[in-house]
Amino acid sequence: MIEAKGISLRFPNGTMALNNIDLQVEPGDMVYVTGPSGSGKTSLLKLFMGIEYPTLGSLKVLGQTMTKGQTAGIRRLRKIIGPVFQEFRLIAGRTVTENVMLGMRFLDLPQDQLKENASHALVKVGLEHKALSLVENLSWGESQRVAIARAVARKPVLILADEPTGNLDKDNALNILELLTSFIDEKTAVIITTHATHLIEAEHNSKVIRMDKGSLSWERLG
Amino acid sequence: MKTIINASYFLKEVKTMIRLNLLSNILTLFSTGLIFFILAMILSGWWVSNHVVNVVQGEAEINVYLDEKVVNTDTGVIQMVESIRDIEGAREARVVDKDEAYRRMVEILGKEASVLNNFDNNPFSSFIELKINLEEIDSVLEKINHMVGVEYVRDNREVLDRLRNIAGVLKLVGVMVVVAVGISTLVIISHIIRLGIFNNKEQINTLRLLGAPETFIAFPFLLEGLLLTIGGGILAVALSDFAIEYLYVQMAGPLPFIPLPPRETLVSGMVIGVMSLSVVLGIVGSLLGLSSTKNN
Repeated sequence: MIEAKGISLRFPNGTMALNNIDLQVEPGDMVYVTGPSGSGKTSLLKLFMGIEYPTLGSLKVLGQTMTKGQTAGIRRLRKIIGPVFQEFRLIAGRTVTENVMLGMRFLDLPQDQLKENASHALVKVGLEHKALSLVENLSWGESQRVAIARAVARKPVLILADEPTGNLDKDNALNILELLTSFIDEKTAVIITTHATHLIEAEHNSKVIRMDKGSLSWERLG
Repeated sequence: MKTIINASYFLKEVKTMIRLNLLSNILTLFSTGLIFFILAMILSGWWVSNHVVNVVQGEAEINVYLDEKVVNTDTGVIQMVESIRDIEGAREARVVDKDEAYRRMVEILGKEASVLNNFDNNPFSSFIELKINLEEIDSVLEKINHMVGVEYVRDNREVLDRLRNIAGVLKLVGVMVVVAVGISTLVIISHIIRLGIFNNKEQINTLRLLGAPETFIAFPFLLEGLLLTIGGGILAVALSDFAIEYLYVQMAGPLPFIPLPPRETLVSGMVIGVMSLSVVLGIVGSLLGLSSTKNN
């Protein structure tokens, strides 16, 4: 699913964000990427989404080579990824349902399927009662759940969640992790970046990666 | 197919985008409306003047005066009329005798006609009145001037040439105004689209990260530009309709001799012209706005 060989990322100002990383993620994997702020967790996810490109090494995500100039291929790849952004990236002025459906409108789904997927995703994250609320009227935790619903409603094969537990209390953070874990099956992999190492529970197929100053070390395999 | 499925989404998006930038969009609507109004007025003026010129040109005629010898024989005059009728470019030829020429002058002079009483005899000569195709005036005149029995030809050429020049100037002004209005509308619409894209930068980036095609992202902006120019076009058409009606009423009294085209024909032509231009300029302006921000 993800095959990274010796990838590095150096920004134009010279900062080395990632340094010689090898990583393999298979369908059904649950991967936690931990580490302090600035350790390269978000940069790693940006490489997986094609927001940044490796300056060294080779990276393939779902068979797509992640290099500059692969715009069409990366756009196709993004359609089958479910991203949960750290800052949510919900569209203001639109309802919860509209936001969830927005991630599916350009997929080849019939209208009924679109509504059904959105409705199921909202039930799954426990926000069906907020379906018609404007997203700017939601709490932090609710916004987080809408972002997750938008990601999973597309039935992606790879979920990339950037700090989904940030700023949440322990109970809510646990709920979010539990929710994301529930989407794993034999075809789907989930990668989560988080500070909250104390919340991570060893489960079957779960892997914990520790990032520090752009380098990676395997901390634990489930 | 996907566009049809998402039609309600696109319309809703446009509604939201317009609502979120209401003042800016209202100002755009009015400015494009006023620009199109100017365009509609110029187009109508152009149309009316062309019509007037065409009517006047259609009435273009020259007067052929014959030698006394020919005039004094009935068969000579008839033969001359037939020969002139056969010239290419001649449309209609008839004899205006001395009495008719006198009556016409009485009509023209009106109250001043008493001045004609100072003449002992009718001072006018009979002549052949010839309607011609204006484009062929040169060849017609050349042939008539070479005919035996023709004494003098009054061609009104100066007036006809002036009319042709006026029509040419109006055409040039019309084209210049259409170009100027076109460019202004393109600038306004592309600017408002750029502004819309800038205001929705976050949304656009999110859609890109979710894998949305550029056409899907761009379509609401294209639709917004199109709706604004169509709105401006409708506003302009409504204003122009009132203005044309007012001008027709004003001209009907003091200037009844100007052969205006039927108002309905003028208005329907203006509506088709302005609305077609508003659609074309809306699409082109939006595409320009989109392409100018493509890589930002």
